[in-house]
Amino acid sequence: MRLRFQTACLAVLLVAVSGAAGLLRALDDIRPQVTAEAEPPWLPPAAVVRPLFLGYHALAADLFWIRTVQYFGGHIQTDRRYPHLYRLVDLTTSLDPHFLDAYQLGGLFLVIGRAYPEAIAIYRKGIEHNPGRWELPHDLARMYFLELGDIPAALEWFQRTDGLPGRPHYVPRFVARLQARLGLVEAALEMWEQMLETTDNEWVRETAEQEIRKLRARQRRAAGAAAPAPRPGGGGPR
Amino acid sequence: MRTAVIAFNTFREAIRDRILYSLLIFALAMIGGSVLLATLSVGGEVKIIKDLGLAAIGLVGTLIAIFIGVGLVYKEIERRTLYTIITKPIRRAEFVLGKFLGLALTLAVNVAIMAAGLLLLASTMEARLAWELLLPVGLTFLKLLVVTAIAVLFSTFSAPTLSAIFSLGLVAVGSLAEDLKLFAATFGGPLLQAAVSAVYLVLPNLASLDVGAAVVHGRPVPAAAATLAAGYGLAYTTALLAVAVWVFQYRDLK
Repeated sequence: MRLRFQTACLAVLLVAVSGAAGLLRALDDIRPQVTAEAEPPWLPPAAVVRPLFLGYHALAADLFWIRTVQYFGGHIQTDRRYPHLYRLVDLTTSLDPHFLDAYQLGGLFLVIGRAYPEAIAIYRKGIEHNPGRWELPHDLARMYFLELGDIPAALEWFQRTDGLPGRPHYVPRFVARLQARLGLVEAALEMWEQMLETTDNEWVRETAEQEIRKLRARQRRAAGAAAPAPRPGGGGPR
Repeated sequence: MRTAVIAFNTFREAIRDRILYSLLIFALAMIGGSVLLATLSVGGEVKIIKDLGLAAIGLVGTLIAIFIGVGLVYKEIERRTLYTIITKPIRRAEFVLGKFLGLALTLAVNVAIMAAGLLLLASTMEARLAWELLLPVGLTFLKLLVVTAIAVLFSTFSAPTLSAIFSLGLVAVGSLAEDLKLFAATFGGPLLQAAVSAVYLVLPNLASLDVGAAVVHGRPVPAAAATLAAGYGLAYTTALLAVAVWVFQYRDLK
């Protein structure tokens, strides 16, 4: 009697679960699908999000950061347009002003999207909230040097990096090179090589390898044509 | 001694409660699930695991404190088991304190289990022992003592459902105390600012016991700040228990 009851329950369970799964698949076929690269809905300001998470601001920042990564990842594989990227990075960093990865990678994402003023705003915001960290002035200097070819601005931010504790050993060498305006392509190459050596992030590693290949090809072309070395700007995967 | 006996009995009763195990399993699943969430990110993976783990300990601990705490005194009255206890030479204050300590012991065991899970995971990810997490876990436990005291206070004069609503409301407001102050400073006039300042001092400021974000970022937490926060938590818990004892002392149990 008991076995029969249990078998009946199991049969009903199996039929109900497979029926529900079938109905869900049928429903999925007729309704619009949510995808990772879908546009984020209206993004509330940090002042609104903070109370909603009842004090768990860091967790809120993590969730918005994951959303940012998904948004960027979705668009880099399709249209390579990122109209909401800055607002996502800004919201993440407003919720957790000490989230260094969000500033560094968010800034890099914006650079890749050629949103340079927004990238500068993010790096500067990070520097303001984390004045003792060398990473953010370093990344800002790198952006000025590699992307914008703005040597005076790069020099200024590398000099600031040089005065911060824990800065990489190569920073004084870059400062000297930029001051002398010598070996700029070599400096660019070294900068990407340092990035490749120091990062533990697979995505950053791939980006650095790509840039190194580009710069080496440029060096070979320049040597072949015996032409003057091009300016370092214009890097970054597109 | 009599308080310890009540506390131990409360602990034994609490660990038989199924809600405890459900919440504990949920917390451990949340901590373990953080690894899956972190794989969706680029950068900040360890931070996500630590943030989610600390949040799970705080959230689940709060739910345990409220949902078990609100019934502690009230159920004894409803089941009439209280009458067999108060006929013995035991003060009502000892009864309330025993109930509180019993739940505090239950929470201590649960927080220790959840913290062990988080430490194991974070240490595996970082290939070193993440001892620094013990400070936010310790202060979270003090936060849970405040929440337990709130639940016990409501339990002395109100039914469990109402007590749970009141407690959740007070915990939510307590978590937002600093946002409330910021809101008044940004948008309010002098009158609102003065009123909010007064409310700010009276409400439990649970955010003051949260140092998780700083610790996860490797930023120093000054010993003075941690000590003051711990003192605040203990002082507020004592104040709430004093009110609970006072209310229960004069409650007509007939």
